[in-house]
Amino acid sequence: MRPENYEAQRQPPSHEYELNIGPNHPGIEGNYAFKLRLHGDTVLEGKADAGYLHRGFEKLMEGRLWIQNLAITPRICVPDPVPMEVSYVLAVEELCGLEVPERAQWLRVLQLELSRIAAHLFTFGGHAATTGMYSTMFWGMADRDLVLDLFEELTGGRVYHIYNIPGGVRRDIPDGFLDRVKRTLDYLESRLPDYDNLLFTNQVFVQRAKGVGTMSREQALEWGVTGPNLRATGLKFDVRRDDPYLVYEDLEFEIPSEEAGDAWARTLVRRKELVESIRIARQVVAALPKIRGTIRCPIPNPLAWSVPAGSAYTRVESSKGELAWYVVSNGGERPYRTHVRGPSQMHAVQVLEKLSVGARLEDIAQTMFSLDACPPEVDR
Amino acid sequence: MTEVTKTPAAGDALPVKTGKRTNPLANVFDELVRFAQSRSLFMLHYCTGCGAIELPPAMTSRFDMERLGIQPMVSPRQADILLVTGYVSVKTLKRVILTYEQMNSPKYVIGICSCTVNGGMYWQSYATAKKLNDYMPVDIYIAGCMPRPEAVIAGLRGLIEDIRRGTADTWKDYYRRYDHYLGNQQRLFGEDWQTPTDVIAEARHYGLFGPGTLGERTALLERHQKPLEALEMKLDIPELMARRSGLGSKGRTEVK
Ligand code: SF4
Repeated sequence: MRPENYEAQRQPPSHEYELNIGPNHPGIEGNYAFKLRLHGDTVLEGKADAGYLHRGFEKLMEGRLWIQNLAITPRICVPDPVPMEVSYVLAVEELCGLEVPERAQWLRVLQLELSRIAAHLFTFGGHAATTGMYSTMFWGMADRDLVLDLFEELTGGRVYHIYNIPGGVRRDIPDGFLDRVKRTLDYLESRLPDYDNLLFTNQVFVQRAKGVGTMSREQALEWGVTGPNLRATGLKFDVRRDDPYLVYEDLEFEIPSEEAGDAWARTLVRRKELVESIRIARQVVAALPKIRGTIRCPIPNPLAWSVPAGSAYTRVESSKGELAWYVVSNGGERPYRTHVRGPSQMHAVQVLEKLSVGARLEDIAQTMFSLDACPPEVDR
Repeated sequence: MTEVTKTPAAGDALPVKTGKRTNPLANVFDELVRFAQSRSLFMLHYCTGCGAIELPPAMTSRFDMERLGIQPMVSPRQADILLVTGYVSVKTLKRVILTYEQMNSPKYVIGICSCTVNGGMYWQSYATAKKLNDYMPVDIYIAGCMPRPEAVIAGLRGLIEDIRRGTADTWKDYYRRYDHYLGNQQRLFGEDWQTPTDVIAEARHYGLFGPGTLGERTALLERHQKPLEALEMKLDIPELMARRSGLGSKGRTEVK
């Protein structure tokens, strides 16, 4: 029904405009900005604007002792700090040729997997919140806290643990710890059907996430994508299986993958990884009582510790993708040069910029969260 | 210049009404207002650093800061608390200052994490600002690397108590000693640093003009001040239509 005086008017064509998202915005993970050029609500171009979290890690580490650097390594990626520690420690061990006791290696795997579970729960919450479903965020946060409680008991810190040192780990598990881990894992597994109902099979979410931010396998390989984002395009590549470190060779687990390569597939891969991580952690819990021995091999006085000259490149699979440290020593008490190869730098800058072209404005936040990028690691 | 825009000389405060309060209930009323203020706080949390990761647990089901009457707010204009969660790099600090100046008073700043207190872990970093209260007045610091959610809640409780007692008034310090804060900002960002907010005019407006409001640093401000241009939407419709039909910007033809 038209009003009486209605007359079709010729509107000027809507023109391009710019929109800044961030650095402080609920749709952005952390302190990070994204500049968009839009036409209507279609994105013509996206430009990442990083640097808000830059601390100059690689420079800072050159000025500190090998052992002091342990304290700042986890701070590179806040939601998933353990892989940072472990891969730095692995690099130092490789340079010094240290033999790590087996028990310490199993303890490291336990930590890595618990950290992966915590990080994935965090990501589900954030991703769901960008589609307007805040309950998942509340649930994920509450369940993640259970894992953080375990970390606190084991290491003394909720988020940053600094539990690994070159040569092993700092202390052994407390009494009854494994039972509590088992109970938490059982509880988390029993929650999965609830999460399925709330998020993974919920049509509100499925319809929003399907077909958003799609990349093909060729594109993913070309852009340096790793981790769950790569596995969501159908390529089963996982450092834990293809270049095993610690005791992953002795463990049984699947590499989940999906074909679609969109936000939906990436979330599903993470959900399946959660199950696999629970499975791995269970195996560690079962194996640990049988593995006796020390948790640390002797190291020289850490305050006057000259690491032999050489360079080491060690990589691990973090919850975001392949994470590696390149550490060079010139035989001194401090690293000569360190470099982090972080997954988020590719995901949050190149990949996000490319995926945002042609996307709709409301999907930008979702694309970023589904890539699980971690701004502090982009900036270092 | 007409008479209307005449500004008071430096150092003058605008005449503020200081009538005697005759209502015997005035104090009771003040108390009530402060109580209400302290129990409904909107918080703008700027995730400047890693401390931000302990805020989701503090806000959601487990520690639940909403029971204290504190809720996140997304825009600075409506927020009461500015939460600076962790190290502030120089690039971020500019945004934090812009955000702070846009907030309406009374406003409170909480510095979470050791990094805001003294630089913390990054004391020798070339990229971070070390002490937050060099650049803006801070009401409460919550130290720790990183502080647990319980510590965050305890800090917020402390702020609530301060507001109720009427002692949380560091925001006035920003007006009274603007020269000092601006000087520190200029040392970091360069002499031509300026923000869109006219803090000096606001100080006059609130009657908070102190001996430290103006000084050599604010004099620099005037020297470098560029007139703020109103951003006008320039819509050249014929050109846009022409561009749309692929004729290039030169070929302005009639579009039917
Ligand atoms: S005090 Fe620690 S946790 Fe907080 S911002 Fe600094 S390094 Fe991060």
